[in-house]
Amino acid sequence: MAAEPGARVLVVEDSPTQAELARALLQGLGHAVRLEAMAGAALEAARAWTPDAILVDIELPDYSGLELMRQLKAEGCDAAIIVVTANASINAAVEAMRGGALDFIVKPYAKARLAVTLANALEKRALQAELGRVRARLERDRFMGFIGASAPMQAVYRTIESVAASRASVFITGESGTGKELAAEAVHKASPRAGKKFVALNCGAIPRELLESEIFGHVRGAFTGALSDRDGAARLADGGTLFLDEIGEMPLEMQVKLLRFVQTGTFSPVGSSKLERVDVRFVCATNRDPMTQVREGQFREDLYYRLYVVPLELPPLRARGDDVLLIARDFLQRSAREERRKFNGFSPDAEALLRSYAWPGNVRQLQNVVRNVVVLHDGETVTAAMLPPPVGTAPVDAPAPASQPPPPPPPLPAPVPTPAEPPGAVTVMPMAEMERLLILAALRQTGDDIPRAAALLEVNPSTIYRKLAAWKSAGKLPAG
Amino acid sequence: MEAAAAAGERFGARLAEDLDPPDIRLILEVFRADVGRLGGVLRDSAAAADMARFRRAAHSLAGAAAAVGAATLEQACRRAMAMAEVGAEADSPPARLPAEAAEIAAQCDAALADATAYLSGLDGG
Repeated sequence: MAAEPGARVLVVEDSPTQAELARALLQGLGHAVRLEAMAGAALEAARAWTPDAILVDIELPDYSGLELMRQLKAEGCDAAIIVVTANASINAAVEAMRGGALDFIVKPYAKARLAVTLANALEKRALQAELGRVRARLERDRFMGFIGASAPMQAVYRTIESVAASRASVFITGESGTGKELAAEAVHKASPRAGKKFVALNCGAIPRELLESEIFGHVRGAFTGALSDRDGAARLADGGTLFLDEIGEMPLEMQVKLLRFVQTGTFSPVGSSKLERVDVRFVCATNRDPMTQVREGQFREDLYYRLYVVPLELPPLRARGDDVLLIARDFLQRSAREERRKFNGFSPDAEALLRSYAWPGNVRQLQNVVRNVVVLHDGETVTAAMLPPPVGTAPVDAPAPASQPPPPPPPLPAPVPTPAEPPGAVTVMPMAEMERLLILAALRQTGDDIPRAAALLEVNPSTIYRKLAAWKSAGKLPAG
Repeated sequence: MEAAAAAGERFGARLAEDLDPPDIRLILEVFRADVGRLGGVLRDSAAAADMARFRRAAHSLAGAAAAVGAATLEQACRRAMAMAEVGAEADSPPARLPAEAAEIAAQCDAALADATAYLSGLDGG
């Protein structure tokens, strides 16, 4: 067996005759060679030249080859190190291997012996690198915006990687707050379409009469208020990815038009008879069971089979083991930085509560809880007493089974009442009361998702937390 | 031990098996320069009873000799290395040091003659 030619081999040898011999033999085997006579210079060369293999003489003028190996390893050098020695004793070999060498060779060596030793060492190095890559893939705790090292998330990461290069439609399912849009973006970013647009459309948040125009665009005069031509999501996503969130909320008449678009890649903007062709990859998501919707006649079966090509199910947070702690620590760090707080970790009892709670609102709920704590408290460690109910009152010894359907999501951080009337009537009232009604309306509209409500109101989430806390202590919010 | 001395190989035999004449010529030229330089260091360090420097030069010369198949020179150098180590531990130069240095010098001359003859053979002389 001989090494594939073309490897970069650094020879560390102080005897010029031996060094020239090594150069001639290695060049004869087709490798690129660099010679260094001193350990210090070899260290510099290894940093600058990043060799595939290093042949190290044990006795060097400045310091020993074994010490050089230790330094190379300490610096993370991944070259295959072969010790060259004039002494073929077992002790020398054992010491060399302990020092990080993959093999050793006794000088003077024949070309054939050198070829085999080098090939073996380079193969071992390649296997070690592959092992490292596989381990990293199996044990990674972050992936394209996701945080989580649990087995269910590793499966999610693998599916996203496997499907990314394809054009196949991806159908994402999972409870609210499990990261469906993040998964859709990950599919896009990992795909060859990453350089083009990722266009997300929430089918459940757009009035049904506007949905067609949002997807396909319209021409001037198509309807009252259509003052000019406007591109829809389909045109904007040309060459990229179109993410249709809450696809289960799409009206049936719109599903027919979407089916035609999915089948043919063509559509007509509202008010136009001209067909336009685009190249988009479809990623859909729903927090409902799509097959149940098909059975109940709420979702077209033909559209379902067109879109449900690669299913991607996001696990609920309660099924992700210690991921809850990884995520909580990450949110804590970010929130503390944003809110200029000193928090840097959770106490063991707080972690036990976080770990045992069922998280019906999933990651989004966890995010809200952490933000709540950071805004309303200060200190270095988050304690159990700081956690708002119901997390702070959950029994730590009764974690919810992963398969159990989630209980109704509780309002967080404190129950938020539905306002008596919407603020849309523009009844003149004190400014503070108008603010209160607006915030409560935004919370109602977003299902008590404070970050989303804050985004709608264009304020910092901490503003909402502070207001809620103030209203609660002033008795302006019903308890519970 | 796989050293040239133990194998009892002829001067330059392995070079001829593995390398083309231009490479062999270059290596032997480097060897001749090594012998001239290291022979001088051995002589000086023996005279100064500098055991560490003597041992290092003997080590380097042994490596050069092994590379070209100068078996007798390699053996002499390795004996001298062992002797220098003993002398360094005892903190006193061994009595046989001058004699070993002289033996190495003689073997250097012999190896240089072998190299010259080998090169002349390569040149068709």
